[in-house]
Amino acid sequence: MPVKSPISTHTNVINALFLREMQTRFGSQKLGYLWVFIDSIAQIVVLAGIKAILFDRSMPGVDFAVFLAIGILAFNMFKSIVFRSMDAFSANKGLFVYKQVKPIDALITRAMVEFLIYICALMSLLVIGLYFNFDVNIQNIMLFVGAYIWIAIFGLSLGITFAILAEFFENLKKVVKLIFLPLFFISGIFFSVESLPLALREWLLYNPVLHFMELIHGSYFSVLDTHYVDYQYMFFWTVIPLFTGLFLYQRTYKVILTS
Amino acid sequence: MITLENVSKTYRTNNGVKSVLSNVSIKIPTDKNIAILGLNGSGKSTLLRMLGGIDYPTRGRIYSDKSFSWPMGLSGGFQGSMTGRHNVKFVCRIHGKDDTDIAKAINFVEDFSELGDYFDMPIKSYSSGMKSRLGFGLSLFFDFDYLLIDEALSVGDKNFQKKSRAALMNKIKSSHVILVSHSMPTLVDLCDVAIYLHDGHLTYFDNVEEAIEAYQAH
Repeated sequence: MPVKSPISTHTNVINALFLREMQTRFGSQKLGYLWVFIDSIAQIVVLAGIKAILFDRSMPGVDFAVFLAIGILAFNMFKSIVFRSMDAFSANKGLFVYKQVKPIDALITRAMVEFLIYICALMSLLVIGLYFNFDVNIQNIMLFVGAYIWIAIFGLSLGITFAILAEFFENLKKVVKLIFLPLFFISGIFFSVESLPLALREWLLYNPVLHFMELIHGSYFSVLDTHYVDYQYMFFWTVIPLFTGLFLYQRTYKVILTS
Repeated sequence: MITLENVSKTYRTNNGVKSVLSNVSIKIPTDKNIAILGLNGSGKSTLLRMLGGIDYPTRGRIYSDKSFSWPMGLSGGFQGSMTGRHNVKFVCRIHGKDDTDIAKAINFVEDFSELGDYFDMPIKSYSSGMKSRLGFGLSLFFDFDYLLIDEALSVGDKNFQKKSRAALMNKIKSSHVILVSHSMPTLVDLCDVAIYLHDGHLTYFDNVEEAIEAYQAH
């Protein structure tokens, strides 16, 4: 058998893993693709309803359903990338018997699959929004798309680090899942930083996800801005886990392969 | 040529560090079918996994310019949530096969493995015999220099055993096997040389009968 170049082997592996992930992610349930969609829409409807009943102080010039939609989809994508990359090694152990398949391939493929699913869901929602006359004029489309890609990469870098640490500390996965519960409420999905009391603002801005949400909302609506977004802070939160994860991977992948 | 250079392999277990190979160096000549003998737990499967490139020596190195199959054994080798068909497709894809070859592989493996309806069911519903039939059938589709086989030949009924033996005999005209088995007649039939693993050491024999004698005398 002729020896293949590392690059083409790598593409073959990612391609094979991608098709496999799509199959197992949705193969068992016919409504699988739709579920991502239904799940997010349900959250949007519930939150929009609560908001309409409890607070009538709306943000002028902001279509609140759209405000919720773009935040919830980004958050769900981020959460999904972190959770599914975290489980990537254990879910693909059986495939590591083929020497071409490295654990990191499985993880990157999973993150890619989640990213594509949620981008499809976002585009479908925007098309539906257009049909029902919601505000679908994106103020700064490049920045908006960039923010979605960036939060996906942020999820991937956390995912890599957590996945490796979880190989050695079994309970880590539970802790991470626990943290994501309150995170939903403090990440600016249904509020803007501007609308917060000063004292709270300062504290909540330690949450990196809030910066991403501000960026996503600010780039979408012309009446909102990205004044509170600290790009440097977001950059550190992306790069430090990414390099920590890759460093740990380099040191431990042999253990991960054989465990 | 397969070269092992100062290879040591240790495992951490709950009962402390267990050593399966200690500072082994050996050169195994090319164009031989190799039998691996040893008691349970002597490191036969580990050696096979290291040759297959999915486990690594703790110290030293193993190298060869030959290609090796994945280790075929009774346990695993497949992703349980995927069906037999999907596993075949997956393995073809990672080896860079195109759609025509994938279709051929599916036909061949479906026919050879005699899995029937199970071919489209998740692997986790398979018996270990069914798994090795699938794995063995699949490996026959590829052209490796060495097939790594771990006890996977003694499965199925008499007919299937006969068929797989014949298929393997045919295959080793163009490639070779490295075979772990407790069935001495199989080893004698298929292999030219032998490696005997004992207490972390490795002895090479030019002929399989001598190795079996040493193994049984132990």
